[in-house]
Amino acid sequence: MRIGVTGLARAGKTALLTSLAANLQAGPGALPALAERLRGRAWSVRTAPAGADPVPRFDVAAHVRALASDPPAWPARTDAVCLLALDVDIARPGLAGALPPRQLRLELLDYPGEWLVDLPMLGQSFEQWSAATLARLAREASARPFLTFVAALPAGCGPDEAIAAEGTALYRAAIEAARAAGLSMLQPGRMLMAAPGPEPPWVALFPHTGSGGLHGLLARRYEAYQAAVRRELSEPGLGRLDRLIVLADLLGALSAGPAAFADAAAALGAVGRALRAARTPAWFAWLAPFIPALGGIERTAFVASKADHVADRQRGNLARLMGAVCGADPDDGTFAIAAIRCTEDVVWTLDGHPVSAVRGRVMGEGKMGRSYPGEVPDTPPGPEFWAHPFLALPVFEPARIGAGAHAPVPQIGLDRLLLWLIGDKL
Amino acid sequence: MSPAPRFELEEAPAARLDFAIEEPRVPRLGVGSGALLLGGVCVLLLGFAALSAGNFIAAQFDRAPALGWFTLAVALLGFGLVAAAIWREVSGLAALDAVDATRRALAHPDTMRAAALAWAARMPDGAAVLPALRGANDPDAVIALLRAGPGEALQREARALGRAAAIQAATATAAIPSPALESLLLAWRGTRLVREVAALHGMRPGLLGTLALFRRVAVSAGFVLVAEAGTEALIRTLGGLPLVALAAEHAVGATVAARRMMVLARVTALACSPLPPKGL
Repeated sequence: MRIGVTGLARAGKTALLTSLAANLQAGPGALPALAERLRGRAWSVRTAPAGADPVPRFDVAAHVRALASDPPAWPARTDAVCLLALDVDIARPGLAGALPPRQLRLELLDYPGEWLVDLPMLGQSFEQWSAATLARLAREASARPFLTFVAALPAGCGPDEAIAAEGTALYRAAIEAARAAGLSMLQPGRMLMAAPGPEPPWVALFPHTGSGGLHGLLARRYEAYQAAVRRELSEPGLGRLDRLIVLADLLGALSAGPAAFADAAAALGAVGRALRAARTPAWFAWLAPFIPALGGIERTAFVASKADHVADRQRGNLARLMGAVCGADPDDGTFAIAAIRCTEDVVWTLDGHPVSAVRGRVMGEGKMGRSYPGEVPDTPPGPEFWAHPFLALPVFEPARIGAGAHAPVPQIGLDRLLLWLIGDKL
Repeated sequence: MSPAPRFELEEAPAARLDFAIEEPRVPRLGVGSGALLLGGVCVLLLGFAALSAGNFIAAQFDRAPALGWFTLAVALLGFGLVAAAIWREVSGLAALDAVDATRRALAHPDTMRAAALAWAARMPDGAAVLPALRGANDPDAVIALLRAGPGEALQREARALGRAAAIQAATATAAIPSPALESLLLAWRGTRLVREVAALHGMRPGLLGTLALFRRVAVSAGFVLVAEAGTEALIRTLGGLPLVALAAEHAVGATVAARRMMVLARVTALACSPLPPKGL
């Protein structure tokens, strides 16, 4: 079973994969929902051999070591596609227990978040993409140099390489600044996170409306970019997903303010629409590589990460908000999880009112911090919500992790997510 | 109206949060009624036999001291042999428990290295991989080294024992005219094969130990069913031997008997090994 793990940048994909692998290897106590479903049936997990597979392997041991070290460090972010392959042997139930254990190969593909937002581009023409992108950038002050440059280009400008390079440099600077400001819908993703190897010429593009030689050059590069993304999705190492996890740090987006939240919601909505469209391959052949011969992506889970930054009482709202933002179907799963738990729930009396808050050790401080970031809405919030801005989330240290390669990693909701994804294969 | 969002740093330095993860409780079944019944009968038989023997020895001393001493010596010899048999049974069962303990230790990262080194040191061809085991950091690599070193040697020897038993079973099946005698012979050869493979793994199971081993063998049998293709290849190899070929010509059951012995050797090796099964 191949599970794609993707999501907006900094959503916590690496943490999720690390925790999933460590907890599967740690045994039943680490994943109680899975253990309950298996009713005492044992399982064992080993890392599948890499063989001659071209996709790099996910280094679980290094990430667990970083989390278990003192002081701990959060896993470094993904800068390329990598694969976590686990062979899971699950004992059969009842009398069938004498038979060989059921073997399940779980392949979890860590797909960079920046590249995820390229999916909606595959269904847009260069003109459509340019208009939408320029409209989004018009709201960003940091994009002004680029917008001024594009607006000043003479009509019918020829395909001059120097102009194209200058425009690309300004556009790259604009979207990098937007990323730093917490925005997510930044295309093309490979401009922010380059694929391994030298950068091909078709990455050097920027949104442009009008006509002329330069416009034609940029449109041809855009088409070449689309073709490269399609080709990559059809590669055996990347295509043919059975299940998909779309991860997003919605709490982070709420705390970054209305513009960042609207941008993240737009990106997630576009990705959600692209994935829904993928279920009707006749209309959207460009996503056909994502669709196996029988049924395509069978289950999609929309997951709000870092749910331990709000108290348990609010995690239901967070999951519902994730579903609403992504436009999840009833068949899709919506979850609020903390792959690596770093807080405990406490009741905190504020202004005479008891509120459910969280408490954890703040990274770099060596002291505990209490946080009540605000109330999580269960639908995309309206203007009244922003009257009480959602508090910036502190960076907490991960909870203590035992020594040893197979030590469990404290988590919230990861076991239920895994059960939902693979439950039918148990 | 809910309070405004807030964050507050506590004054005192604090340790990292530590969430104890509890292992699910597995209910212990305890001692079964059959074991209690058997234990009670044994205690009664041995206890009353000891009491009777004591009374008898006392009576013999009353008759004549020489008779008493001689009776005491006979009783001590007899009960000593019974005690030795019991000790051997307990040791055999403990050896099986030791396999389980090693298996558990190999599954746990904290105890894996020590258990791997201790088990490899006890096994034939195990000393050669000890330096590599000491140098390996990855738990999967430790298991792979054990499999490739002592595990492979044990499997090879178990296969050889299985082949020898298969030849005997095939020829005997063809030669023995009575089905009852044939079943008896196969049961005896199978039991002997199980004990031989257990001895190969450093165990000397007695009667109870052999019964316990048979129970494990039945559980492990499922793992070996998938190895039928490999067994078929071995059968074909054996078919090349003149004696077996002759036996197979005269009795269809000879091939079946040979296959059973080879599967039994493999299953027993699996039950006696603390290494997790893989790719059988």
